[in-house]
Amino acid sequence: MGIFDKLANFLRLKKKEINILCIGLDNSGKTTIINRLKPEKAQAQDIVPTVGFTVEKFMSQSLNFTVFDMSGQGRYRNLWEHYYKTAQAVIFVLDSSDRLRIVVAKEERGLPVLFFANKMDCKDSLSAVECTKKMGLDTIRDKPWHICASNALTGEGLPEGVAWLTGQLNS
Amino acid sequence: MSSRVDASSDGENQRDEEESPEKSIWLNAHLDPMACLYTFSTSISLADLNADSDYKLLVADLGTGTFDMKLKVFKGTSLYMESAIIDLPIALVSFYMDTNDPRTPAIAVASGPFIYVYKNLRPYFKFTLPPLSVNAVEQDLWNQAKEDKIDVHVLIEMLESLKNEGSEGMLSVRSLKLLSLQPEEVESFANVHKHTTLKRQTVITCMGTMKKSVADDDAVSCLVIGTESKDVYVLDPEAFTVLAKMSLPSVPVFISVNGLFDVEFRIVVACRDGKVYTLKRGSKMAKACIELAAQAVGLERTGKSIIVGCMDNTLQCYSTKGKKLWTVYLPSNILTMSLMDHKARGFKAVMVALSNGEVRIYKEKYLVNTIKMSDAVTALKFGRFGREDSALILITKGGGLFVKILKRTATFEGKDLTPGPPPAQSIKLNVPKKTKLFVDQTLRERDSASGMHRTFQHDLYLLRLMSARSYVSALQKSLNPISSSATEPLKLSAQVQGIGPAFKLTVNLQNISSSVPSSKLLITFQFDDSLYALSKPCIFVPLLVPGLMYAYETLVECISDKGISDVIKVFVLHQGNSIPVITAVINMPVSEALVIV
Ligand SMILES: Nc1nc2c(ncn2[C@@H]2O[C@H](COP(=O)(O)OP(=O)(O)O)[C@@H](O)[C@H]2O)c(=O)[nH]1
Ligand SMILES: [Mg+2]
Repeated sequence: MGIFDKLANFLRLKKKEINILCIGLDNSGKTTIINRLKPEKAQAQDIVPTVGFTVEKFMSQSLNFTVFDMSGQGRYRNLWEHYYKTAQAVIFVLDSSDRLRIVVAKEERGLPVLFFANKMDCKDSLSAVECTKKMGLDTIRDKPWHICASNALTGEGLPEGVAWLTGQLNS
Repeated sequence: MSSRVDASSDGENQRDEEESPEKSIWLNAHLDPMACLYTFSTSISLADLNADSDYKLLVADLGTGTFDMKLKVFKGTSLYMESAIIDLPIALVSFYMDTNDPRTPAIAVASGPFIYVYKNLRPYFKFTLPPLSVNAVEQDLWNQAKEDKIDVHVLIEMLESLKNEGSEGMLSVRSLKLLSLQPEEVESFANVHKHTTLKRQTVITCMGTMKKSVADDDAVSCLVIGTESKDVYVLDPEAFTVLAKMSLPSVPVFISVNGLFDVEFRIVVACRDGKVYTLKRGSKMAKACIELAAQAVGLERTGKSIIVGCMDNTLQCYSTKGKKLWTVYLPSNILTMSLMDHKARGFKAVMVALSNGEVRIYKEKYLVNTIKMSDAVTALKFGRFGREDSALILITKGGGLFVKILKRTATFEGKDLTPGPPPAQSIKLNVPKKTKLFVDQTLRERDSASGMHRTFQHDLYLLRLMSARSYVSALQKSLNPISSSATEPLKLSAQVQGIGPAFKLTVNLQNISSSVPSSKLLITFQFDDSLYALSKPCIFVPLLVPGLMYAYETLVECISDKGISDVIKVFVLHQGNSIPVITAVINMPVSEALVIV
């Protein structure tokens, strides 16, 4: 059973359809994370870097999952805003090993709620606390947010984030 | 509780504003003031070294300027690899030398007469510039020295005279070195070197790349190098043979290459003689196209224009034909220049680093952005770094490495800051229509211009005559209130008080000479006795001490009830002389009717 199924189960009880938007700079590991969250049998083995942008939609029981993947050119980034309206929750994936572009991620922060400081296994990666500081998350006060370090290759850290998201949607 | 949170979030916002005072279009991605880099724009490059679209920064570091020269590779914010370079690096380029997959580019570092080529970050090939022919006289001298026919001092003397003949650039490095040695070192130097064959080698002064036959981003490129021997070479990317050799009248210092080697190309070079030359495919000699007023410190091409930064603090733009298009005057010296080519937006501009720490971005002649750095910038490069397409690399004089990223939302708006007519000048005024009267007058003026002029002149002469006459009569009758006569320098003023019918007339008299007192003066009045009656028609003035102001009063009664007024003249006379010394004319106010209470 995929980790996300727990959330799906909860949502099915409520008979609610939900759109989750997964955004972040290119190569941050969105596709890998989404893949991890899918039911195990649907998980792909190889993930190739997304070029340009793709919108991936899949159903996980009652869950409507929308992945919006953007390229570093930023040409597509202004489209995010249009998808915010339809999304009940937003996952923002950070590449914690790309120190150079953390400022760009900060610029594009928007209104997400769950941050994954991904690639925590990379030797040069920033900790979740460092990411919080660099992203200026401590200044968000008008909406709930959460950050957790993750490794999309192994799935480490993902359950913690999903648990938090479930709790938020519950209340 | 909630108010406390609000207050602190306000404080946060304020701090954010302070940190970005002018809403900069740049994000500060990386700051390392202690990176200890010593390099210039021609010696840095951005390249996808591992073909993983994570672009690396390549820096040919001059080290201390004498040793510790290194090729440094940065991956993101950290140093990825470094490798020693034997001599001072002059230029660094990255280029694709083959069509193998994965598409990893090679790095070429020019240093002295050599080009070191690195592939996969490992030394791959060393290219040496072809040797030049040795001066026959010089060769002969060394041969004689070898056979001990002449001694070292004669050799030095002869070489010196050869050098002074103006062929310094034609001598071999060995001869030049010998000439620069201390007297005690020459003997051993000559003895060591005279047995080897004499070679003349030149050094590289600048380097660029040129795509060979296709214009793709990762197409195979030739190296284009300029040398101290006033030549430009185009090298084959695979075999490193000389594909083309072209000559210049002077030593090239900045090079800019456009086009394809197999199709058509144009090489623009700024030379040490202060001129810019163009070389085309098939041409053996350069064509001078621009004569600069000052030495070039940078050369860039955008489209059809050549932009040159000069030592006289100007940025000048020329067409490819050599016609000057514009000049921008800068507030301080130009240290380096670089092209900003933002392909995703089709935006091309020239970045100019100044000695006052500014980096200015000019789109055509318009200043579109200024970055203020704490230290002067010596190397600039805009391009893809890491996974970011619009990164700007800045290396400062103090060795700092700074990486800025252009905001996605950034816009460039340029204003023309060059002096010229103010914009108000081009606003049309709302001029009213010509009336019939105006037209008639204009016609009349045109028809009788000479008559009008004559009338005007006539009246003007009359006016002048009249004013001259009244001036003369005023002088003769002493009608002016200040006496200019040397014997009685006096000043007179008078005033009237009251509303009538009774007035008080005050006469102020002052001796304006510095030391001579005036005496035997009296004041009289001239008036219409049917209108006015004066209490004291004649006042005897005692001795006037120089400088003091004396006031004399008399009451004036208006004895007419017709409501008219007249003038009263005040005369100051010298006793026994009927011509007044000074005169004042007082305009009496109209008297109010006598009110009996
Ligand atoms: N080391 C490491 N690599 C990761 C992790 N997550 C993703 N990657 C790698 O990062 C690259 C980009 O991932 P991808 O999911 O395509 O990123 P996307 O562009 O955001 O969709 C792939 O090569 C992944 O294997 C992680 O947690 N650790
Ligand atoms: Mg992807």
